[in-house]
Amino acid sequence: MSLQRVSFVEAKGSLVRDCPGTKNHICCGYKTIDLIEGCILSCSYCILKYYINADGIKVHGDTPYILSQIEEVINAEKGHILRFGTGELSDSLALDRKYRLNRPLVEFFGEKKRALLELKSKWAGFDHLAPYLNPYTVISFSLAPQRSIDREERRTSPLYKRLKAAKKAQDLGCFVGLHLDPIIIYDGFEKDYEYLIEDIGRLLDLKKVIWISLGLLRFPPKLLDHFIENKRKSLLYGEFIQGEDGKCRYIKGERIKVYRMLYNQLKSKDDELFVYLCMERSDVWKAVTGMTLNESEALIGLFDKRIKTLYGGTI
Amino acid sequence: MNHLETISIDQINRDDRRFCISYPLENPMLRASIEKVGIIQPALLFGPCPYTIIAGFKKVQMAIELGYVAIPAIILSNIDEKEALLYAIHDNLIRGLNTVEKALAIEKMSRMDFPMPPIFDTMVFLGLKPHEKVRAIHSAIAHAEEPMKALIVSKNLSMKNIETLLRFDRSERGPLLGLLSTVHVTEGSLREILGMMILMKIREGQIDFDGFSGVGSADDLKRILKGRMYPILTSLETKLEHIRQQSALPPHVDIKVDPFFEKEYIDIGIRAKDIKDVEYALERLRKALEGGSIGSMLELTKG
Repeated sequence: MSLQRVSFVEAKGSLVRDCPGTKNHICCGYKTIDLIEGCILSCSYCILKYYINADGIKVHGDTPYILSQIEEVINAEKGHILRFGTGELSDSLALDRKYRLNRPLVEFFGEKKRALLELKSKWAGFDHLAPYLNPYTVISFSLAPQRSIDREERRTSPLYKRLKAAKKAQDLGCFVGLHLDPIIIYDGFEKDYEYLIEDIGRLLDLKKVIWISLGLLRFPPKLLDHFIENKRKSLLYGEFIQGEDGKCRYIKGERIKVYRMLYNQLKSKDDELFVYLCMERSDVWKAVTGMTLNESEALIGLFDKRIKTLYGGTI
Repeated sequence: MNHLETISIDQINRDDRRFCISYPLENPMLRASIEKVGIIQPALLFGPCPYTIIAGFKKVQMAIELGYVAIPAIILSNIDEKEALLYAIHDNLIRGLNTVEKALAIEKMSRMDFPMPPIFDTMVFLGLKPHEKVRAIHSAIAHAEEPMKALIVSKNLSMKNIETLLRFDRSERGPLLGLLSTVHVTEGSLREILGMMILMKIREGQIDFDGFSGVGSADDLKRILKGRMYPILTSLETKLEHIRQQSALPPHVDIKVDPFFEKEYIDIGIRAKDIKDVEYALERLRKALEGGSIGSMLELTKG
C-alpha cells in the first residue's frame, strides 16, 4: 500500500517530547514519541503530507535508545501519570505489521506499569500485537463518519473495521481511546455524527473507553492553499478564521455549537465518559462542558483522576 | 564576424515572432526617444533574408509607425534557432523583464524543445526559482488571454495573485477581469478579493457575477464577498460596529476586540495627557458599562 519511500534513520537527539501545544489553548500534556516521521495514509487534511512526507517516511529503529529516553522522562515525573503516544508524527499502527516497532514499547510499558502508551490509528490491523498487549497500552482510533472517511481518508480502514478493532482491543483487556478528530463540518454532518455516536454506544463497552477527544478541523494557513488548489470543497465548507495560534479554525460560535452537540450526545450514552476537547480555548471548554479550565495543568489533573479511577491506583 | 548594416524594413518578416519575448510591444517612451534622436541600438536579426527579429521588436514596430523604411541592424546567420532565442532573452535581460516577458521566454524555450537544465539555468538568470512548479505557472501565464497579461503587467501583480487568477477558468476570468477593471485595487485588496472569489467558486461551484453589479469600489466588492463567504464574522462585525456607535466613546478611549472574535477578552486603552483626560475617559467608560455596551462587546467574544 505504501507509495512512499520508507527509510531507517539513525535516532538522534530527543525523540520523546512534550506535545507542542498552542498558545492560549488548553493542552492535555501528552508526551510524543517520534518513532516514525511521516505517514502512508495521506489523509487530505493532514499536515504531515505537506511537511514531513516530503523526504519520504523516516523510521527511528533504535528501540533501546528510544526506550531509554522514555524511561528518563517517566523517572523524572513526580506529579502526573504520563501518557505517551506515537501518533503525533505518524499513524501508530499503519506500518507496524511490517516493521514491528510497537512490540518493545508495549512490553516496556507493561513491565514498567507507571505510565500509559497510546497507539493512535486509523488502521484497524493489530493482530500481530495481540499476544503482547497489556492494560498499560491504550489502543485508540480516530473516528469519523464513513462519508468523511470516503472523501478525506481514502487509504485508511473503514469505520466499521476501526470500531470492530476497538472492540477487539477491549476484549483483549485494553482500554481504548476514541478521537473524533478532525471533525469536519459539511452539509449533513450532524446526522452522520449522530449515527457515529450511536454506533460507538452500540458496539463498544463504554466502561472500557478511557477517553474521547473532540477536535474540529484546524490547520496552518499554508494548507488552505492546498485545499483551494485541490478544490477540496468539503474541507472549505465552514467559516474559517485565524486563531491566536495562527492556525485556521472554524469561527468560535460554530465550534461551540458543534462541540456542545457531540459532547451532549456522548454524555447521553454514558455520563461517566471522559470527553475532552483537543487544543481549545478555556472559554470554549466552559461553554461546552461547564468546566472552568484556566490552564493546561487543570486538564492534566483531570486525566490523572480518570486514569486513577480506571486503574484503581495500580499505576 | 557580424557587421552593423542598414536593413530595409521590407526585408524583415515581422510576422515571425519565434524570438519575441517583448510585452507589451507598445512603448510610448521608446517611441518618443526614437522620434527625438532616432534608433541608436541596432536590432538583432536572424538570417538569411527575409530576416526574423531576434531582439528589437519594439524598435522595429516604432520605426514602422514613424515611417522609417530602413533601420540599423546586426544580422546573425551563423547561429541556430535555439542560440537565437538565448540571444533574444539575454539581450533583453539588461533592461529587466516583466513577469509576462519572463513567462514568454521560458515558454518559448520549452516550445523549442530545450531540455530542462538550460531552461532552469535561464530561470535563474530571470530571477526565478528553478523549479518545475514555477516553470508550469509561467507557461500558464504565457498562454493566458490578453486582458490577463495586461493586468499582470499594468498592476505588476505578485506571483501569489497571479496563481490565484490562474485557478479560475478562462470563461470566469473574462467577467472577473472586467469587474476588476472597474475598481481601483491595490495588491493587498486584490489578494483578499481573489481569495474570497476562489472560495466562492469552490463552495458554490460558480461565481455569481450578477451579485456584484454596480459595485463602485474595491471596498464595496470586498464587503459583498465577505458577507457571502463569512456571514457569521460579518454579522459579528456589524453588531460590534453598532455597539461602538451606541457607546459613543471619545476617540482617546479605544476598545479593541479580536478581529476574529476569538480572544475571550477585550483590551481597553486610554490615551491621556493629563488627569482630566483620564477622569473623562473613566466617566465615559462607566457610562458605557452601565449602558450595557461593554457587556455587549464581551458577549460577542463568547461565540
